[in-house]
Amino acid sequence: MKHTTRLLDILDRAENGPIIDESQWDIFMVPQEIAKLQAEFDINFKNMGDTLIPNDDQLADRLFEAGFALANRIGVLCSSTSRRMMWTTKEIEDAISVAPIEITYGNGLDKHTERKRRPEDSKPLTIKGGGVGTIIPEYLYLPVHQSYAQEPLIDAMINCTLETIYGREIRTRSPWEILVGWFEAEATKTACKRAGRPGLGIGCVENAVSEISELSVTGEGGFSKYDWHHIAMVSEFKTDYTALNKLTHLVNNGSIIHSFYNTVYGGSVGGKEGVAIAIVGGCILLQMIYMTNTHSVSPAHPFYGNDTCPEIMLPISIAQQALARNSRLMTDVVLTPVGGPGTKTLLYETAAMAILATASGACGLIGPRSGAGVNPGHVSGLESRFMAEVAHAAAGIPRSQANELALKLLALYKDQLNQRPAGKSFEEVYDLRTLKPVPDWENMYEGVKSEIREMGLPLR
Amino acid sequence: MPLNKALQEKYTQELSEIIQEGSIDAGIELAKNASSEGITTVEFFTEIIQPVLTDLGDAFSRLEVFLPELMKASMVVKGIQESIFTEDNLKGEVSDLVKGKVVIGTCQGDIHDIGKSMVAMLLQINGYTVKDLGVNVTPQQFIEEAQKMNADIIAMSSLLTTSLPFIKDVVNRLSAFNSREKFKVIVGGAAVNSSWAASAGLDGYGRDAVEAVEICNRIINTK
Repeated sequence: MKHTTRLLDILDRAENGPIIDESQWDIFMVPQEIAKLQAEFDINFKNMGDTLIPNDDQLADRLFEAGFALANRIGVLCSSTSRRMMWTTKEIEDAISVAPIEITYGNGLDKHTERKRRPEDSKPLTIKGGGVGTIIPEYLYLPVHQSYAQEPLIDAMINCTLETIYGREIRTRSPWEILVGWFEAEATKTACKRAGRPGLGIGCVENAVSEISELSVTGEGGFSKYDWHHIAMVSEFKTDYTALNKLTHLVNNGSIIHSFYNTVYGGSVGGKEGVAIAIVGGCILLQMIYMTNTHSVSPAHPFYGNDTCPEIMLPISIAQQALARNSRLMTDVVLTPVGGPGTKTLLYETAAMAILATASGACGLIGPRSGAGVNPGHVSGLESRFMAEVAHAAAGIPRSQANELALKLLALYKDQLNQRPAGKSFEEVYDLRTLKPVPDWENMYEGVKSEIREMGLPLR
Repeated sequence: MPLNKALQEKYTQELSEIIQEGSIDAGIELAKNASSEGITTVEFFTEIIQPVLTDLGDAFSRLEVFLPELMKASMVVKGIQESIFTEDNLKGEVSDLVKGKVVIGTCQGDIHDIGKSMVAMLLQINGYTVKDLGVNVTPQQFIEEAQKMNADIIAMSSLLTTSLPFIKDVVNRLSAFNSREKFKVIVGGAAVNSSWAASAGLDGYGRDAVEAVEICNRIINTK
């Protein structure tokens, strides 16, 4: 659907809002407003002990109000024009009251519909499997993606990025970026065909750092409007012409839009409470600036780059609950563990976050971005299969039980967080001739599944 | 002669409280009071400001305080420096107060800001003069600014592989203009690691803000 009227309104705000210096925004406006909202809405996690998945609806509802107030009071900074894009309470209410509560990806027999969920919902969430931007050498790019596409529990795929293009270095905003976008489209679509799922919805254009790759490769012969196209809101709460160029193209193309905003724990938004407010406010603002179909906020640990630390899991859970209970916005959780393929750490982290996302009311689960996405070629399809199996088994369980399970799993990997075990590369954990996991990796996966069954989750 | 311990404790305590409030005026007032009690400008910096900032940096490395607290500390200390660190007060001792000069930014093609800002703040509270050029900084901007402020270190952040060629451009341009020896060039961020940094001919790699400070200290101490 082409929301041309609303698009013009967004673009107008980027040109006509109040002017603000970017350093004032970073140093004063964002941290001060978040600190103020924390006190005003009594968002305080200090007495929650070691809880990862809270069961406190009043807190979730207050958090939604705080996030809404954040969106209303600060808006978004367009750094290309130094303008604040702002919306009244009614404008925000109107926009989120018509946000879609379902979206269908892909084509033909591979179509999948992601739907709005609530905390403890028995509906399974959507599995968007893939390495989420992890760098892959060219010669492995196709088999890595085939290892995901061939997993029947994956409802849509999320792409990795390329290390080089035809052996050359890739530069942002250059012809190389256009070439790498086309390579991504051709390789991932071929991977889906070879896996027998030619219509699988693909999360793209993962290599489009600037808009030129997105503009080039979304259209005939490249990615289609039934794939899910990414636009980022830069931390904290900023957009620019690059993102708005993508938006304008995607709206006119009628494409599915997935937008994301990745804040940093301990950054401008502060600690747990600030991160929780930022997730809620961030999702609302993503809707306001990008008219997005699905939203994700993936806070990162400043030293480990992951989101599986207790100090980040708690805000993710309560923020997902706040958004699920109080809005139509469809939100996904991006799973970013420290562990890589071939490690139990990765599986424990994946299980804990999959349970958390499912019980907290997330609509989709993206990843895992194994090894926090920083070890080239260290991802594999098996961890997405595992993520899906745990998430589906957790659908409908109460938050209290989910919390107990997540705590048990956390105890198994907590000591490994600062070790960041990279594990093994794709070539070491998969047989490249058959594209099956090697016995060691498969046995480890089966072993961890048994452990989780013994914890009480009815995993198939 | 070291500062009287009771006096030092009194002023470090007060400065810590002022930093928490983020009041630049109160910080300047405190420095003036210290001066009236016979504490020299250099003593105020080395025995009061520096220990407070070291504690704050340590607390950040344990994630007991966050970026907004570092920002407040940086603002207050900068205000004090600008107000009382005059040439007359310092009597030529300024070189002892500044560990080194760093030009920092997120390199061309990348607009990730927060991690780089954490490094900039942590360097500042550890005694470095830091010029933060922001995000999407071109190789030429890094070099021009480093030359302008006579920097010791050029520090670049990159979270995207597509911005890595621009890091190499900085090294290549410095070499082409016979300026490579003038500056140490270091890098951090999710797109890089120590082996990439070595292969690109850089002088160091830090995987987080704490390690970035350690590397800068090592570089400055071995100069």
